[in-house]
Amino acid sequence: MSNITSVRPATLTSLLTRIKDNRPVFIVSVFSLILLIVIGIKGGPPQILNTFVSGGMWALMAVGLALVFGVMNIPHFAHGESFMVGTYVAYYVYTPLLAALGSNPNPVFKALSPFAGIIAAGLVGAILGIIVERLIFAPLRHRTRSGWVMNAFLLTVGISFVMTNGATLTVGPNFRGIPTYWDVDPIEILGARLAVDRLVAFFISGVTIALVWFFLHRTRTGRAIRAVAQDETGAQMVGIDLDFIHTLTFSLSTATAAIAGAALLFMFQAYPTVGLKPLYFAWYVVMLVGLGNIAGAIVGGFIVALLQTATQLLFTITWETVIPTIVMILVLLLAPSGLFGSEVKGIQEQ
Amino acid sequence: MLELKNLDSGYDFLQILWDVSLHVDKGEFVALVGPNGAGKSTTLRTVSGLLSPKGGEILFKGKSINKRKAHEISRMGISYVSEQLNLFTDMSVEENLLLGAYALHDTEQQLKTIAFVFELFPRLKERKRQLAGTMSGGERKMLAIARGMMSNPELMLVDEPSLGLQPNLVTDVFRSLQLLRDQGVTILLVEQNVNATLEITDRAYILEQGKIVMEGPSRSVKENEHVRNAYLGI
Repeated sequence: MSNITSVRPATLTSLLTRIKDNRPVFIVSVFSLILLIVIGIKGGPPQILNTFVSGGMWALMAVGLALVFGVMNIPHFAHGESFMVGTYVAYYVYTPLLAALGSNPNPVFKALSPFAGIIAAGLVGAILGIIVERLIFAPLRHRTRSGWVMNAFLLTVGISFVMTNGATLTVGPNFRGIPTYWDVDPIEILGARLAVDRLVAFFISGVTIALVWFFLHRTRTGRAIRAVAQDETGAQMVGIDLDFIHTLTFSLSTATAAIAGAALLFMFQAYPTVGLKPLYFAWYVVMLVGLGNIAGAIVGGFIVALLQTATQLLFTITWETVIPTIVMILVLLLAPSGLFGSEVKGIQEQ
Repeated sequence: MLELKNLDSGYDFLQILWDVSLHVDKGEFVALVGPNGAGKSTTLRTVSGLLSPKGGEILFKGKSINKRKAHEISRMGISYVSEQLNLFTDMSVEENLLLGAYALHDTEQQLKTIAFVFELFPRLKERKRQLAGTMSGGERKMLAIARGMMSNPELMLVDEPSLGLQPNLVTDVFRSLQLLRDQGVTILLVEQNVNATLEITDRAYILEQGKIVMEGPSRSVKENEHVRNAYLGI
Protein backbone atom coordinates (compact mmCIF):
# COMPACT_ATOMS: atom_id res chain seq x y z
CA MET A 1 0.00 0.00 0.00
CA SER A 2 1.40 3.33 -0.95
CA ASN A 3 1.09 6.14 1.49
CA ILE A 4 0.89 9.26 -0.58
CA THR A 5 -0.65 11.56 1.97
CA SER A 6 -0.95 14.54 -0.33
CA VAL A 7 -4.16 13.19 -1.79
CA ARG A 8 -7.15 14.77 -0.11
CA PRO A 9 -10.49 13.18 -0.83
CA ALA A 10 -12.99 15.77 -1.90
CA THR A 11 -15.87 13.79 -0.48
CA LEU A 12 -16.14 15.44 2.92
CA THR A 13 -15.97 18.99 1.59
CA SER A 14 -18.34 18.16 -1.22
CA LEU A 15 -20.68 16.68 1.38
CA LEU A 16 -20.60 19.90 3.38
CA THR A 17 -21.25 22.08 0.34
CA ARG A 18 -24.05 19.73 -0.62
CA ILE A 19 -25.63 20.19 2.81
CA LYS A 20 -25.43 23.94 2.34
CA ASP A 21 -26.73 23.98 -1.23
CA ASN A 22 -29.22 21.17 -1.05
CA ARG A 23 -32.61 22.15 0.31
CA PRO A 24 -33.83 18.68 1.42
CA VAL A 25 -30.53 18.04 3.16
CA PHE A 26 -30.74 21.37 4.93
CA ILE A 27 -34.28 20.62 6.04
CA VAL A 28 -33.25 17.20 7.32
CA SER A 29 -30.29 18.67 9.21
CA VAL A 30 -32.56 21.11 11.02
CA PHE A 31 -35.13 18.37 11.55
CA SER A 32 -32.46 16.08 13.06
CA LEU A 33 -31.35 18.78 15.43
CA ILE A 34 -34.93 19.30 16.58
CA LEU A 35 -35.33 15.54 17.10
CA LEU A 36 -32.14 15.46 19.14
CA ILE A 37 -33.41 18.25 21.38
CA VAL A 38 -36.77 16.50 21.78
CA ILE A 39 -34.98 13.28 22.73
CA GLY A 40 -32.79 15.19 25.15
CA ILE A 41 -35.79 16.80 26.89
CA LYS A 42 -38.02 13.72 27.01
CA GLY A 43 -35.44 11.00 27.57
CA GLY A 44 -32.37 12.72 28.94
CA PRO A 45 -28.72 11.79 28.29
CA PRO A 46 -29.22 7.97 28.37
CA GLN A 47 -31.63 8.21 25.44
CA ILE A 48 -29.20 10.44 23.55
CA LEU A 49 -26.53 7.83 24.14
CA ASN A 50 -28.94 5.13 22.96
CA THR A 51 -29.49 7.11 19.80
CA PHE A 52 -25.79 7.31 19.15
CA VAL A 53 -25.28 3.61 19.87
CA SER A 54 -27.96 2.59 17.38
CA GLY A 55 -26.91 5.34 14.99
CA GLY A 56 -23.37 4.05 14.97
CA MET A 57 -24.56 0.51 14.41
CA TRP A 58 -27.02 1.38 11.64
CA ALA A 59 -24.28 3.44 10.03
CA LEU A 60 -21.89 0.50 10.25
CA MET A 61 -24.48 -1.85 8.71
CA ALA A 62 -25.41 0.71 6.06
CA VAL A 63 -21.78 1.33 5.07
CA GLY A 64 -21.50 -2.37 4.24
CA LEU A 65 -24.67 -2.24 2.17
CA ALA A 66 -23.57 0.92 0.39
CA LEU A 67 -20.19 -0.61 -0.41
CA VAL A 68 -21.64 -3.79 -1.86
CA PHE A 69 -24.19 -1.87 -3.88
CA GLY A 70 -21.80 0.83 -5.02
CA VAL A 71 -18.97 -1.45 -6.06
CA MET A 72 -20.77 -4.62 -7.13
CA ASN A 73 -24.32 -3.41 -7.86
CA ILE A 74 -25.74 -6.04 -5.52
CA PRO A 75 -28.89 -5.11 -3.55
CA HIS A 76 -27.80 -7.14 -0.57
CA PHE A 77 -30.69 -8.70 1.34
CA ALA A 78 -28.56 -11.21 3.21
CA HIS A 79 -26.66 -8.49 5.05
CA GLY A 80 -28.64 -9.25 8.21
CA GLU A 81 -27.38 -12.82 8.14
CA SER A 82 -23.82 -11.53 8.37
CA PHE A 83 -24.99 -9.69 11.50
CA MET A 84 -26.51 -12.96 12.75
CA VAL A 85 -23.28 -14.86 12.18
CA GLY A 86 -21.48 -12.14 14.13
CA THR A 87 -23.75 -12.58 17.15
CA TYR A 88 -23.26 -16.36 17.13
CA VAL A 89 -19.48 -16.19 16.75
CA ALA A 90 -19.25 -13.68 19.58
CA TYR A 91 -21.47 -15.85 21.77
CA TYR A 92 -19.56 -19.06 21.09
CA VAL A 93 -16.17 -17.44 21.55
CA TYR A 94 -16.96 -15.18 24.48
CA THR A 95 -18.97 -17.48 26.78
CA PRO A 96 -16.49 -20.42 26.78
CA LEU A 97 -13.67 -17.96 27.21
CA LEU A 98 -15.39 -16.45 30.24
CA ALA A 99 -16.04 -19.92 31.64
CA ALA A 100 -12.40 -20.87 31.11
CA LEU A 101 -11.31 -17.87 33.13
CA GLY A 102 -12.94 -19.52 36.17
CA SER A 103 -14.99 -18.17 39.02
CA ASN A 104 -12.41 -15.63 40.08
CA PRO A 105 -11.06 -14.26 36.81
CA ASN A 106 -8.20 -11.90 36.26
CA PRO A 107 -9.94 -8.53 35.76
CA VAL A 108 -7.78 -7.57 32.79
CA PHE A 109 -8.51 -10.80 30.90
CA LYS A 110 -12.17 -10.51 31.81
CA ALA A 111 -12.38 -7.00 30.43
CA LEU A 112 -10.60 -8.01 27.24
CA SER A 113 -12.45 -11.25 26.52
CA PRO A 114 -15.43 -9.55 24.77
CA PHE A 115 -12.98 -8.09 22.28
CA ALA A 116 -11.80 -11.61 21.47
CA GLY A 117 -15.38 -12.48 20.54
CA ILE A 118 -15.83 -9.32 18.48
CA ILE A 119 -12.53 -9.69 16.61
CA ALA A 120 -13.27 -13.36 15.96
CA ALA A 121 -16.65 -12.34 14.54
CA GLY A 122 -14.93 -9.88 12.21
CA LEU A 123 -12.50 -12.55 11.00
CA VAL A 124 -15.21 -15.18 10.49
CA GLY A 125 -17.28 -12.56 8.67
CA ALA A 126 -14.39 -11.71 6.36
CA ILE A 127 -13.82 -15.38 5.52
CA LEU A 128 -17.55 -16.00 5.07
CA GLY A 129 -17.67 -13.03 2.69
CA ILE A 130 -14.84 -14.44 0.59
CA ILE A 131 -16.52 -17.86 0.40
CA VAL A 132 -19.94 -16.47 -0.53
CA GLU A 133 -18.53 -14.15 -3.19
CA ARG A 134 -16.26 -16.74 -4.78
CA LEU A 135 -18.87 -19.48 -4.66
CA ILE A 136 -22.01 -17.58 -5.62
CA PHE A 137 -21.51 -14.12 -7.12
CA ALA A 138 -18.26 -14.60 -9.05
CA PRO A 139 -19.56 -17.51 -11.16
CA LEU A 140 -22.73 -15.57 -12.02
CA ARG A 141 -20.73 -12.46 -12.88
CA HIS A 142 -18.46 -14.44 -15.17
CA ARG A 143 -21.36 -16.11 -16.90
CA THR A 144 -23.49 -13.08 -17.70
CA ARG A 145 -23.99 -9.48 -16.65
CA SER A 146 -27.44 -9.17 -18.19
CA GLY A 147 -30.18 -8.75 -15.60
CA TRP A 148 -27.46 -8.58 -12.98
CA VAL A 149 -29.21 -6.46 -10.36
CA MET A 150 -32.32 -8.64 -10.31
CA ASN A 151 -30.35 -11.90 -10.36
CA ALA A 152 -28.04 -10.72 -7.61
CA PHE A 153 -31.01 -9.59 -5.53
CA LEU A 154 -32.67 -13.00 -5.84
CA LEU A 155 -29.41 -14.69 -4.93
CA THR A 156 -29.09 -12.64 -1.75
CA VAL A 157 -32.65 -13.51 -0.74
CA GLY A 158 -31.77 -17.17 -1.31
CA ILE A 159 -28.62 -16.84 0.76
CA SER A 160 -30.67 -15.26 3.52
CA PHE A 161 -33.12 -18.19 3.55
CA VAL A 162 -30.37 -20.79 3.54
CA MET A 163 -28.45 -19.08 6.32
CA THR A 164 -31.36 -18.47 8.70
CA ASN A 165 -32.64 -22.02 8.23
CA GLY A 166 -29.10 -23.37 8.35
CA ALA A 167 -28.67 -21.67 11.71
CA THR A 168 -31.95 -23.13 12.98
CA LEU A 169 -30.84 -26.57 11.81
CA THR A 170 -27.39 -26.49 13.35
CA VAL A 171 -27.65 -24.43 16.54
CA GLY A 172 -31.42 -24.45 16.99
CA PRO A 173 -34.01 -21.71 17.29
CA ASN A 174 -33.21 -20.85 20.92
CA PHE A 175 -32.07 -17.42 21.94
CA ARG A 176 -28.47 -17.40 23.12
CA GLY A 177 -27.53 -14.21 24.79
CA ILE A 178 -25.51 -12.61 27.51
CA PRO A 179 -26.85 -10.08 30.00
CA THR A 180 -23.84 -7.84 29.58
CA TYR A 181 -20.27 -7.81 28.29
CA TRP A 182 -18.78 -5.64 30.98
CA ASP A 183 -20.34 -6.33 34.35
CA VAL A 184 -19.46 -2.99 35.92
CA ASP A 185 -21.41 -0.06 37.30
CA PRO A 186 -22.64 2.51 34.80
CA ILE A 187 -20.44 5.52 34.33
CA GLU A 188 -21.84 8.84 35.46
CA ILE A 189 -21.51 11.65 32.93
CA LEU A 190 -23.25 14.95 33.68
CA GLY A 191 -25.43 13.25 36.23
CA ALA A 192 -26.61 10.61 33.77
CA ARG A 193 -25.80 6.94 34.28
CA LEU A 194 -24.52 5.44 31.05
CA ALA A 195 -24.06 1.68 30.56
CA VAL A 196 -20.48 0.75 29.70
CA ASP A 197 -21.63 -1.85 27.16
CA ARG A 198 -23.34 0.82 25.13
CA LEU A 199 -20.45 3.22 25.33
CA VAL A 200 -18.08 0.54 24.10
CA ALA A 201 -20.50 -0.48 21.33
CA PHE A 202 -20.56 3.12 20.11
CA PHE A 203 -16.79 3.26 20.32
CA ILE A 204 -16.46 0.04 18.29
CA SER A 205 -18.78 1.22 15.54
CA GLY A 206 -16.94 4.55 15.38
CA VAL A 207 -13.53 2.91 15.15
CA THR A 208 -14.68 0.38 12.55
CA ILE A 209 -16.26 3.07 10.35
CA ALA A 210 -13.15 5.23 10.71
CA LEU A 211 -10.94 2.29 9.68
CA VAL A 212 -13.11 1.52 6.64
CA TRP A 213 -13.09 5.21 5.70
CA PHE A 214 -9.34 5.42 6.08
CA PHE A 215 -8.89 2.26 4.05
CA LEU A 216 -11.07 3.53 1.20
CA HIS A 217 -9.56 7.01 1.01
CA ARG A 218 -5.97 6.70 2.08
CA THR A 219 -4.70 3.41 0.70
CA ARG A 220 -3.94 2.23 -2.80
CA THR A 221 -6.30 -0.73 -2.58
CA GLY A 222 -9.07 1.39 -1.10
CA ARG A 223 -8.70 3.85 -3.93
CA ALA A 224 -9.01 0.94 -6.35
CA ILE A 225 -12.30 -0.06 -4.68
CA ARG A 226 -13.68 3.43 -5.21
CA ALA A 227 -12.40 3.37 -8.78
CA VAL A 228 -14.34 0.17 -9.50
CA ALA A 229 -17.46 1.78 -8.02
CA GLN A 230 -17.10 4.77 -10.34
CA ASP A 231 -16.05 3.16 -13.60
CA GLU A 232 -15.50 -0.54 -13.95
CA THR A 233 -14.06 -0.30 -17.46
CA GLY A 234 -11.73 2.50 -16.42
CA ALA A 235 -10.60 0.39 -13.47
CA GLN A 236 -9.73 -2.53 -15.73
CA MET A 237 -7.90 -0.16 -18.06
CA VAL A 238 -5.53 0.96 -15.31
CA GLY A 239 -4.80 -2.62 -14.31
CA ILE A 240 -7.21 -3.23 -11.43
CA ASP A 241 -8.24 -6.86 -11.04
CA LEU A 242 -12.04 -6.75 -10.75
CA ASP A 243 -12.31 -10.22 -9.24
CA PHE A 244 -9.93 -9.30 -6.43
CA ILE A 245 -11.72 -6.00 -5.70
CA HIS A 246 -15.16 -7.61 -5.73
CA THR A 247 -14.15 -10.37 -3.36
CA LEU A 248 -12.39 -7.92 -1.07
CA THR A 249 -15.39 -5.57 -1.02
CA PHE A 250 -17.85 -8.32 -0.20
CA SER A 251 -15.57 -9.65 2.50
CA LEU A 252 -15.17 -6.19 4.02
CA SER A 253 -18.91 -5.64 4.02
CA THR A 254 -19.64 -9.01 5.62
CA ALA A 255 -16.96 -8.43 8.25
CA THR A 256 -18.37 -5.04 9.27
CA ALA A 257 -21.86 -6.49 9.64
CA ALA A 258 -20.48 -9.36 11.74
CA ILE A 259 -18.63 -6.88 13.96
CA ALA A 260 -21.87 -4.93 14.43
CA GLY A 261 -23.65 -8.13 15.44
CA ALA A 262 -20.92 -9.15 17.84
CA ALA A 263 -20.71 -5.72 19.48
CA LEU A 264 -24.48 -5.70 20.06
CA LEU A 265 -24.79 -9.27 21.38
CA PHE A 266 -25.85 -7.90 24.80
CA MET A 267 -28.73 -5.98 23.17
CA PHE A 268 -29.92 -8.44 20.52
CA GLN A 269 -28.86 -11.98 21.59
CA ALA A 270 -28.06 -14.64 19.02
CA TYR A 271 -30.91 -16.39 17.18
CA PRO A 272 -31.47 -17.32 13.54
CA THR A 273 -33.57 -14.32 12.51
CA VAL A 274 -31.79 -11.68 14.59
CA GLY A 275 -30.50 -10.06 11.40
CA LEU A 276 -33.89 -8.92 10.12
CA LYS A 277 -34.20 -5.72 12.10
CA PRO A 278 -30.64 -4.52 11.43
CA LEU A 279 -31.17 -5.37 7.76
CA TYR A 280 -34.32 -3.30 7.53
CA PHE A 281 -32.80 -0.34 9.30
CA ALA A 282 -29.68 -0.49 7.14
CA TRP A 283 -31.93 -0.44 4.09
CA TYR A 284 -33.89 2.54 5.45
CA VAL A 285 -30.57 4.32 5.74
CA VAL A 286 -29.26 3.61 2.24
CA MET A 287 -32.59 4.37 0.60
CA LEU A 288 -32.85 7.61 2.56
CA VAL A 289 -29.42 8.90 1.57
CA GLY A 290 -29.03 7.33 -1.87
CA LEU A 291 -27.81 3.85 -2.72
CA GLY A 292 -24.08 3.29 -2.78
CA ASN A 293 -23.20 6.53 -1.03
CA ILE A 294 -20.82 5.69 1.81
CA ALA A 295 -20.41 9.11 3.38
CA GLY A 296 -24.18 9.50 3.20
CA ALA A 297 -24.68 6.11 4.85
CA ILE A 298 -22.78 7.27 7.91
CA VAL A 299 -24.87 10.42 8.29
CA GLY A 300 -28.04 8.49 7.44
CA GLY A 301 -27.38 5.93 10.15
CA PHE A 302 -27.67 8.65 12.76
CA ILE A 303 -30.71 10.26 11.14
CA VAL A 304 -32.57 6.95 11.20
CA ALA A 305 -31.53 6.33 14.79
CA LEU A 306 -32.81 9.78 15.77
CA LEU A 307 -36.14 9.05 14.14
CA GLN A 308 -36.30 5.68 15.81
CA THR A 309 -35.56 6.94 19.32
CA ALA A 310 -37.83 9.95 18.98
CA THR A 311 -40.63 7.68 17.79
CA GLN A 312 -40.12 5.38 20.76
CA LEU A 313 -40.28 8.29 23.15
CA LEU A 314 -43.21 10.12 21.57
CA PHE A 315 -45.39 7.30 20.17
CA THR A 316 -44.18 4.10 21.95
CA ILE A 317 -42.04 1.37 20.47
CA THR A 318 -44.82 -0.10 18.29
CA TRP A 319 -44.35 2.78 15.85
CA GLU A 320 -40.59 2.32 15.66
CA THR A 321 -40.54 1.04 12.09
CA VAL A 322 -43.63 2.91 10.89
CA ILE A 323 -42.37 6.46 11.30
CA PRO A 324 -38.94 5.92 9.64
CA THR A 325 -40.72 4.23 6.74
CA ILE A 326 -43.09 7.15 6.31
CA VAL A 327 -40.17 9.57 6.38
CA MET A 328 -38.34 7.43 3.84
CA ILE A 329 -41.34 7.44 1.51
CA LEU A 330 -41.64 11.22 1.81
CA VAL A 331 -37.96 11.71 1.09
CA LEU A 332 -38.10 9.43 -1.94
CA LEU A 333 -41.10 11.34 -3.25
CA LEU A 334 -39.24 14.64 -2.95
CA ALA A 335 -35.73 13.45 -3.83
CA PRO A 336 -35.95 10.12 -5.69
CA SER A 337 -32.20 9.48 -5.70
CA GLY A 338 -31.94 10.00 -1.95
CA LEU A 339 -30.80 12.94 0.15
CA PHE A 340 -27.22 13.04 -1.04
CA GLY A 341 -27.91 12.11 -4.65
CA SER A 342 -26.14 9.18 -6.12
CA GLU A 343 -22.42 8.86 -6.65
CA VAL A 344 -22.62 5.42 -8.17
CA LYS A 345 -23.29 3.74 -11.44
CA GLY A 346 -26.82 3.21 -10.15
CA ILE A 347 -29.10 0.48 -11.29
CA GLN A 348 -28.17 -0.06 -14.87
CA GLU A 349 -28.50 -3.19 -16.88
CA GLN A 350 -25.28 -4.00 -18.66
CA MET B 1 5.81 -4.92 -30.76
CA LEU B 2 2.11 -5.46 -31.48
CA GLU B 3 0.88 -7.78 -34.14
CA LEU B 4 -2.67 -8.74 -35.07
CA LYS B 5 -2.95 -11.87 -37.20
CA ASN B 6 -6.24 -12.48 -39.03
CA LEU B 7 -8.20 -11.06 -36.13
CA ASP B 8 -11.98 -11.58 -36.00
CA SER B 9 -13.89 -9.76 -33.28
CA GLY B 10 -17.25 -8.27 -32.35
CA TYR B 11 -20.04 -8.22 -29.82
CA ASP B 12 -22.00 -11.38 -29.04
CA PHE B 13 -23.33 -12.62 -32.38
CA LEU B 14 -22.38 -9.49 -34.26
CA GLN B 15 -19.00 -9.84 -35.92
CA ILE B 16 -17.37 -6.51 -36.70
CA LEU B 17 -13.74 -7.24 -37.54
CA TRP B 18 -12.97 -9.64 -40.37
CA ASP B 19 -9.52 -11.02 -40.81
CA VAL B 20 -7.72 -7.89 -39.66
CA SER B 21 -3.94 -8.08 -39.75
CA LEU B 22 -1.70 -5.22 -38.74
CA HIS B 23 1.52 -4.62 -36.89
CA VAL B 24 3.03 -1.78 -34.90
CA ASP B 25 6.78 -1.78 -34.43
CA LYS B 26 8.70 -0.39 -31.48
CA GLY B 27 8.82 3.41 -31.47
CA GLU B 28 6.36 3.74 -34.32
CA PHE B 29 3.41 6.12 -34.44
CA VAL B 30 0.72 4.30 -36.41
CA ALA B 31 -2.71 5.53 -37.39
CA LEU B 32 -5.83 3.46 -37.88
CA VAL B 33 -8.34 5.53 -39.82
CA GLY B 34 -11.65 4.87 -41.47
CA PRO B 35 -15.30 5.86 -41.49
CA ASN B 36 -17.77 5.56 -38.61
CA GLY B 37 -18.62 2.00 -37.75
CA ALA B 38 -15.63 0.53 -39.55
CA GLY B 39 -14.46 -1.23 -36.41
CA LYS B 40 -11.60 1.03 -35.32
CA SER B 41 -12.70 1.21 -31.69
CA THR B 42 -13.54 -2.50 -31.74
CA THR B 43 -9.94 -3.17 -32.76
CA LEU B 44 -8.59 -1.20 -29.80
CA ARG B 45 -11.10 -2.71 -27.36
CA THR B 46 -10.08 -6.18 -28.50
CA VAL B 47 -6.37 -5.48 -28.12
CA SER B 48 -6.92 -3.97 -24.66
CA GLY B 49 -8.74 -7.12 -23.55
CA LEU B 50 -12.14 -5.52 -22.94
CA LEU B 51 -13.47 -7.65 -25.80
CA SER B 52 -12.29 -11.16 -26.46
CA PRO B 53 -11.31 -12.09 -30.02
CA LYS B 54 -13.46 -14.53 -31.97
CA GLY B 55 -10.57 -15.72 -34.06
CA GLY B 56 -7.04 -14.98 -35.09
CA GLU B 57 -4.25 -13.95 -32.80
CA ILE B 58 -2.97 -10.88 -30.95
CA LEU B 59 0.73 -10.89 -30.21
CA PHE B 60 2.40 -8.41 -27.88
CA LYS B 61 6.19 -8.60 -27.84
CA GLY B 62 5.90 -11.99 -29.48
CA LYS B 63 3.53 -13.46 -26.89
CA SER B 64 -0.13 -14.23 -27.49
CA ILE B 65 -2.46 -12.11 -25.36
CA ASN B 66 -5.72 -13.51 -26.74
CA LYS B 67 -6.81 -15.07 -23.47
CA ARG B 68 -5.52 -12.36 -21.16
CA LYS B 69 -7.90 -10.25 -19.09
CA ALA B 70 -7.96 -6.47 -19.51
CA HIS B 71 -6.13 -5.73 -16.26
CA GLU B 72 -3.37 -8.22 -17.11
CA ILE B 73 -2.89 -6.64 -20.52
CA SER B 74 -2.72 -3.20 -18.91
CA ARG B 75 -0.04 -4.48 -16.54
CA MET B 76 1.94 -5.96 -19.44
CA GLY B 77 2.49 -2.44 -20.74
CA ILE B 78 -0.41 -1.68 -23.05
CA SER B 79 -2.29 1.43 -22.08
CA TYR B 80 -5.70 2.13 -23.58
CA VAL B 81 -7.22 5.60 -23.72
CA SER B 82 -10.82 5.00 -24.66
CA GLU B 83 -13.18 7.26 -26.54
CA GLN B 84 -15.47 7.46 -23.49
CA LEU B 85 -12.35 8.26 -21.41
CA ASN B 86 -13.63 6.16 -18.48
CA LEU B 87 -12.29 8.62 -15.95
CA PHE B 88 -13.11 8.32 -12.24
CA THR B 89 -15.35 11.36 -12.24
CA ASP B 90 -15.85 11.72 -8.48
CA MET B 91 -12.13 11.67 -7.80
CA SER B 92 -9.62 14.45 -8.08
CA VAL B 93 -7.24 14.80 -11.00
CA GLU B 94 -4.41 13.67 -8.78
CA GLU B 95 -6.26 10.55 -7.62
CA ASN B 96 -7.07 9.67 -11.23
CA LEU B 97 -3.38 9.93 -12.07
CA LEU B 98 -2.37 7.85 -9.06
CA LEU B 99 -4.84 5.19 -10.14
CA GLY B 100 -3.25 5.30 -13.58
CA ALA B 101 -0.10 4.16 -11.84
CA TYR B 102 -2.00 1.52 -9.85
CA ALA B 103 0.13 -1.31 -11.20
CA LEU B 104 3.37 0.44 -10.24
CA HIS B 105 4.20 -0.30 -6.63
CA ASP B 106 7.19 2.00 -6.61
CA THR B 107 6.04 5.26 -4.98
CA GLU B 108 9.13 7.14 -6.13
CA GLN B 109 8.52 6.10 -9.72
CA GLN B 110 4.89 7.24 -9.39
CA LEU B 111 5.90 10.69 -8.21
CA LYS B 112 8.44 10.96 -11.00
CA THR B 113 5.84 10.09 -13.64
CA ILE B 114 3.34 12.49 -12.10
CA ALA B 115 5.92 15.28 -12.28
CA PHE B 116 6.57 14.44 -15.93
CA VAL B 117 2.88 14.38 -16.75
CA PHE B 118 2.34 17.72 -15.01
CA GLU B 119 5.17 19.16 -17.07
CA LEU B 120 3.48 17.92 -20.22
CA PHE B 121 0.04 19.14 -19.17
CA PRO B 122 0.48 22.18 -16.90
CA ARG B 123 -3.29 22.62 -16.89
CA LEU B 124 -3.67 19.38 -14.96
CA LYS B 125 -1.21 20.55 -12.35
CA GLU B 126 -3.24 23.71 -11.77
CA ARG B 127 -6.33 21.60 -11.28
CA LYS B 128 -4.98 18.62 -9.44
CA ARG B 129 -7.49 18.96 -6.61
CA GLN B 130 -10.46 19.41 -8.93
CA LEU B 131 -12.89 16.53 -9.45
CA ALA B 132 -12.38 14.95 -12.86
CA GLY B 133 -16.10 15.09 -13.61
CA THR B 134 -16.21 18.87 -13.26
CA MET B 135 -13.56 19.58 -15.90
CA SER B 136 -14.08 20.69 -19.47
CA GLY B 137 -14.03 18.24 -22.38
CA GLY B 138 -10.50 19.16 -23.45
CA GLU B 139 -9.14 18.91 -19.93
CA ARG B 140 -10.76 15.53 -19.51
CA LYS B 141 -9.12 14.24 -22.70
CA MET B 142 -5.79 15.45 -21.42
CA LEU B 143 -6.42 13.77 -18.09
CA ALA B 144 -7.33 10.51 -19.83
CA ILE B 145 -4.14 10.58 -21.90
CA ALA B 146 -2.13 11.56 -18.83
CA ARG B 147 -3.69 8.73 -16.82
CA GLY B 148 -2.82 6.34 -19.63
CA MET B 149 0.80 7.48 -19.41
CA MET B 150 1.02 6.98 -15.67
CA SER B 151 1.72 3.25 -15.95
CA ASN B 152 4.81 3.94 -18.09
CA PRO B 153 3.35 1.93 -20.98
CA GLU B 154 5.36 0.64 -23.89
CA LEU B 155 2.36 0.85 -26.18
CA MET B 156 -0.50 3.32 -26.04
CA LEU B 157 -3.80 2.77 -27.82
CA VAL B 158 -5.52 6.13 -28.21
CA ASP B 159 -9.11 6.27 -29.41
CA GLU B 160 -10.48 9.44 -31.07
CA PRO B 161 -8.71 12.05 -28.95
CA SER B 162 -9.97 14.87 -31.18
CA LEU B 163 -13.64 13.95 -30.96
CA GLY B 164 -15.77 16.84 -29.72
CA LEU B 165 -12.85 19.18 -29.13
CA GLN B 166 -12.51 22.73 -30.36
CA PRO B 167 -9.76 23.09 -33.02
CA ASN B 168 -7.04 24.67 -30.87
CA LEU B 169 -7.43 21.91 -28.28
CA VAL B 170 -7.15 19.30 -31.02
CA THR B 171 -3.75 20.77 -31.86
CA ASP B 172 -2.79 20.57 -28.17
CA VAL B 173 -3.80 16.94 -27.94
CA PHE B 174 -1.96 15.98 -31.13
CA ARG B 175 1.13 17.84 -29.95
CA SER B 176 1.09 15.91 -26.68
CA LEU B 177 0.91 12.64 -28.63
CA GLN B 178 3.92 13.70 -30.68
CA LEU B 179 5.78 14.53 -27.46
CA LEU B 180 4.94 11.07 -26.19
CA ARG B 181 6.29 9.49 -29.34
CA ASP B 182 9.47 11.51 -28.87
CA GLN B 183 9.72 9.95 -25.40
CA GLY B 184 9.94 6.56 -27.09
CA VAL B 185 6.35 5.46 -26.51
CA THR B 186 4.83 3.42 -29.31
CA ILE B 187 1.38 4.67 -30.28
CA LEU B 188 -1.54 3.24 -32.19
CA LEU B 189 -3.93 6.11 -32.87
CA VAL B 190 -7.52 5.78 -34.01
CA GLU B 191 -8.89 8.96 -35.56
CA GLN B 192 -11.56 10.44 -37.74
CA ASN B 193 -9.59 13.61 -38.33
CA VAL B 194 -7.76 11.93 -41.21
CA ASN B 195 -5.89 14.93 -42.51
CA ALA B 196 -4.22 15.92 -39.25
CA THR B 197 -3.61 12.30 -38.33
CA LEU B 198 -1.77 11.51 -41.53
CA GLU B 199 0.38 14.59 -40.95
CA ILE B 200 1.82 13.40 -37.66
CA THR B 201 1.91 9.60 -37.96
CA ASP B 202 4.55 7.37 -39.54
CA ARG B 203 2.33 4.72 -41.00
CA ALA B 204 -1.40 4.29 -41.52
CA TYR B 205 -3.98 1.57 -41.98
CA ILE B 206 -7.37 2.23 -43.54
CA LEU B 207 -10.17 0.16 -42.06
CA GLU B 208 -13.48 -0.07 -43.93
CA GLN B 209 -16.38 -2.33 -42.98
CA GLY B 210 -14.21 -4.35 -40.63
CA LYS B 211 -11.46 -5.05 -43.15
CA ILE B 212 -8.08 -3.47 -43.75
CA VAL B 213 -8.27 -2.01 -47.23
CA MET B 214 -5.00 -0.15 -47.42
CA GLU B 215 -1.75 0.32 -45.54
CA GLY B 216 1.45 2.22 -46.02
CA PRO B 217 3.52 5.19 -44.93
CA SER B 218 1.19 8.03 -43.94
CA ARG B 219 2.57 10.30 -46.62
CA SER B 220 1.80 7.91 -49.48
CA VAL B 221 -1.60 7.01 -48.01
CA LYS B 222 -2.39 10.70 -48.06
CA GLU B 223 -1.54 10.91 -51.75
CA ASN B 224 -3.78 7.98 -52.61
CA GLU B 225 -6.69 8.69 -54.92
CA HIS B 226 -9.28 6.74 -52.87
CA VAL B 227 -8.24 8.39 -49.62
CA ARG B 228 -8.26 11.85 -51.15
CA ASN B 229 -11.78 11.32 -52.47
CA ALA B 230 -13.29 9.52 -49.50
CA TYR B 231 -11.65 11.18 -46.50
CA LEU B 232 -9.93 14.37 -47.44
CA GLY B 233 -12.62 15.74 -49.72
CA ILE B 234 -10.07 16.90 -52.26
